[in-house]
Amino acid sequence: MLLPCVLLGATLFILGLIGFVTRRNLIIMFLCTELMFQGIILNVVAFGRQPLGGRPALDGQVFALFLIAVAAAEAAVALALVVLLYRHRDTLDAQAYRLLKDE
Amino acid sequence: MVPILLILVLTLGAVGLFLALPAGPTRTDRVGWLVLAGAGAVLLGSLLQLTPGPAPGWFAGLALIAVFSAVRVITHRRPVYSALYFVLLILTVTALLVLMEAPFLSVALVIVYAGAILVTYVFVIMLARQARPTSYDTRARDPFWGCLAGFLLLLLLSGQLNLFQAGPPRLPAVADSAPAGTVEQIAVPLFTDYLLAVQLIGLLLLAALAGAIAIARRQPTGIGENRGEA
Repeated sequence: MLLPCVLLGATLFILGLIGFVTRRNLIIMFLCTELMFQGIILNVVAFGRQPLGGRPALDGQVFALFLIAVAAAEAAVALALVVLLYRHRDTLDAQAYRLLKDE
Repeated sequence: MVPILLILVLTLGAVGLFLALPAGPTRTDRVGWLVLAGAGAVLLGSLLQLTPGPAPGWFAGLALIAVFSAVRVITHRRPVYSALYFVLLILTVTALLVLMEAPFLSVALVIVYAGAILVTYVFVIMLARQARPTSYDTRARDPFWGCLAGFLLLLLLSGQLNLFQAGPPRLPAVADSAPAGTVEQIAVPLFTDYLLAVQLIGLLLLAALAGAIAIARRQPTGIGENRGEA
């Protein structure tokens, strides 16, 4: 069960990576980071089930809980930034914000 | 999975993804979806052979739905539908976590992601909605190089994993006594070994909350005349 889960996690992560690189809508780009988080959560839980030495533990699931909390914090700040940028220039195109300076 | 089959699936997937990504007025996504369906069929067949354990059919079907909805998230031309397909992905990952004996984690995932984060995304999408499909939603940026980079990365990763599987150090099977992640079981390490981390995560969430409010309340300063009015 470990190998297919890790492969699936890697696939989800890389799909998120491709989306982050190719899409130009800022909201979709941040959605793709959440996609990468899903791949990582699957990986961490799958690895946590393997009792490599010692007794089996739940550390993988605890790490996944922390990952969810960090993802929530990231989503809050990122969406606040998106709202601010949209009010600033009326577009969500990432290409419009290539220069990080005021006009 | 034999390497030839793996390379075939990955190549089909990369080509299909390249065709399915939005590329302006030329609509190649139907061809792309045909290619992706072929890749999915091969993948389903090999997953059914590869996956041991009690429920190979469940895992293969859920994995296929997960990959399908992930592809749909990154290829759909309308952001609202991307967000809805992401909800489908969350539900699939939840079912996979239940298969991996993590019930509390799966419930937390549904509540936090589908309940909180995705609703926020949908709100922001509604807030920034344009009247008609915009150019930045219908034309991807360098889809060829993105797909090629992802294809190579996944090929390397899965090649390494295959070597890992064929090599002598077999992984031990999951112990029968492995604890399931119920609330009771997961609370013990959370409040003994990781107590400091839990406190820090609370602090991080508070800081993110304050930061989000501070960022979103600020008026855009580049315009100039808005300053006096506020």
